[in-house]
Amino acid sequence: MTSIGTGYDLSASTYSPDGRIFQVEYASKAVDNSGTTIGLRVKDGIVLAVEKLVHSKLLVPGASNRRIQTIDKHIGLATAGYLADGRHLANRARSEASNFREFYHSPPQVKDVTERLGQYVQVYTLYSSVRPFGVSTILGGVDKTGPNLYVVEPSGVFFGYHGAAVGKGRQLAKAELEKLKLAELSTREAVFEVARIIHLVHEDNKEKEFELEMSWIGAETQGIFLPVPKDLHQEAEEKAKAALDNFE
Amino acid sequence: MAAAATVYNPVGFDFSNQIRNNFLADRGIPLPKATSTGTTIVGCLFKDGIVLGADTRATEGEIVADKNCEKIHYITESIRCCGAGTAADTEFTTAMISSNMELHALSTGRKPRVVTAMTMLKQYLFRYQGHVGAALVLGGVDATGPHLFTIHPHGSTDKLPYVTMGSGSLAAMAVFEAQWKPSMTREEALDLVNAAISAGIFNDLGSGSNVDACVITATKTDMLRNFVKPNERVTKERTYGFRRGTTAFTKEEIRNLVVHEEIIGVRDDAMDVDGS
Amino acid sequence: MEALSVDIGRLKSGEVNLGTSIMAVQFKDGVIIGADSRTTTGAYIANRVTDKLTYVHDRIYCCRSGSAADTQAVADIVHYYLQMYKQHMGREPSVHTAASLFQNICYQNKDALSAGIIVAGWDKEDGPSVYNIPLGGGIFRQPWAIGGSGSTYVYGYCDATYQEGWGKDETIEFVKNTLSLAMARDGSSGGVIRMCVITEGGVERLFVPGDRLPKFWQGQEVIGKTFKAAADTEMIVEG
Repeated sequence: MTSIGTGYDLSASTYSPDGRIFQVEYASKAVDNSGTTIGLRVKDGIVLAVEKLVHSKLLVPGASNRRIQTIDKHIGLATAGYLADGRHLANRARSEASNFREFYHSPPQVKDVTERLGQYVQVYTLYSSVRPFGVSTILGGVDKTGPNLYVVEPSGVFFGYHGAAVGKGRQLAKAELEKLKLAELSTREAVFEVARIIHLVHEDNKEKEFELEMSWIGAETQGIFLPVPKDLHQEAEEKAKAALDNFE
Repeated sequence: MAAAATVYNPVGFDFSNQIRNNFLADRGIPLPKATSTGTTIVGCLFKDGIVLGADTRATEGEIVADKNCEKIHYITESIRCCGAGTAADTEFTTAMISSNMELHALSTGRKPRVVTAMTMLKQYLFRYQGHVGAALVLGGVDATGPHLFTIHPHGSTDKLPYVTMGSGSLAAMAVFEAQWKPSMTREEALDLVNAAISAGIFNDLGSGSNVDACVITATKTDMLRNFVKPNERVTKERTYGFRRGTTAFTKEEIRNLVVHEEIIGVRDDAMDVDGS
Repeated sequence: MEALSVDIGRLKSGEVNLGTSIMAVQFKDGVIIGADSRTTTGAYIANRVTDKLTYVHDRIYCCRSGSAADTQAVADIVHYYLQMYKQHMGREPSVHTAASLFQNICYQNKDALSAGIIVAGWDKEDGPSVYNIPLGGGIFRQPWAIGGSGSTYVYGYCDATYQEGWGKDETIEFVKNTLSLAMARDGSSGGVIRMCVITEGGVERLFVPGDRLPKFWQGQEVIGKTFKAAADTEMIVEG
């Protein structure tokens, strides 16, 4: 960043002379420092996984600050970046989804919620009185068009993905995702893949402990977005660790 | 202090006259009625456009308030609107929509359409749930061709090749139902509209006096004010005025009612304006 | 369950009324909707060729009964919502979505509206479907629905006649016959029959003039005989 210290980065309502909005770019930086979050869109469903970094050994495992949240029966969301911002956006997505349900008496498609959430995030890049959201949001779900996966960035733009990764280990995660034949994978197989990838990317960040958070939706969950069951979760994590040992 | 008390107005609605008004209504003294155009208005499609027609009587109860009023209102150059019902409401709604149509035309840079006026009118009337008592016949020619609508006070609309409204609508409709045919000439349509309005004028107590007509085609609008005057007042055969000098008088006094006031001039050097 | 017909007492004085016979029937490839054409103000027929079958989207129509002003206003609003839906979401709205929009408005304004609406059409998700939205603002999916003041006279006929699995032509006959019967018995219904066939391929409009309505028992013979007998007697008396 060539223009650091020139005063063009103090407000989201100020452009730099070369046409950038630094406050929005800084928000993306907040995302890049966060634990890795990945999402997979496979043949019959979606799997979301988060590397939740544990900053103290005194914390009760799995008790607080889930980073994967449920938006509607069939839509889930995982965030990377500021936890509290992620919770706020999840609440917004929930109210958008429920408004849609009430108005049209039918479940929203993942794209409907993503579009509305994107609009909401974008508004926070326009005013000097507010701070852009320091999160990238992965939205995934299964609607009548099939499985869908989107990422909403701090600028408000969103893209549809077959496989998405955000956060600290995104580069390595993306490289791993590209090796997979996502269109042929079953949701159950995808659970093992995401567990493996999260454990793999954590290798570069080994000084910190982490919890693996995984949720999925597909034929096996009857089209409902749910946490991956305990036994499957355990199995996937054990396999991931074993794969890691072989890798080394 | 006492003066302040009389000036003070409490907040909220004042219902104090309700009791009095209900009492008067019970004693057979109802609230005064608004002037209504107990009316015959019609519209008719013909080969090249639309003919609108109206009578010219305005009534207040059984009294004729105006013997030659105008009921065909201007909306735009090629859209006009006949009004029946409460005279004030038809006058002001059409004036307001006319104004909005002009602004609409200015902002879109196009000639406005009849459906636009129709939609504005129906949405306005619907908002007031029938309390704005305007029953309208809207007609005109736009880029999509000739259009003719009726708009009822509650905001419902109908699109038909020939329409009538007002208290004389039954008489006028009888004429249309018997004689209207598709693709008439301008003359045929004008004659038919004249016949329909005349049926209202002569058979409906609320309608009377003259026939106004308006012919709208793609190129020209002709407002034919007092197109036919079937009720011209003839000069009386005799005069009933008293001859001058019929009444004897004993005294004549002419008083000057103009007040004269003496004005005292101010001295030229009286005012020192610059204060130096 | 409340009455499906229009309660005339709910109308404001002088209001234009669609004291109506309306109908929608689902069949294999689409829906047939139909209506009479009478609009009344009190005893006067304000429009004898009314079109009560109202477009709200490419493959979704509604049949209107109750107050003309209310149902036109509601249909206009839903029409607008569906246009916005198409632009915002980039896809065709379903019949269920359209019916839900009608229902929202009819329920939330139930104290101010007198509108009995049938929504029908074709969509990709469900194929053909018919939704009934009666006076209180409920919503009911039905294989066939009838509405308006004339409908009360033909519930029995519909129950006895309707069968699943009909094709287009049989369904058209069913709608035509039902509406004729309703129009013959209900003074507030009459005029012509308008129908629409809504299928994936498009919307086809059908029209039956007032003098070509299917005829059922009209009672001419019985009335003719008694009348003649009475006339004969009078002739004798006069003679």
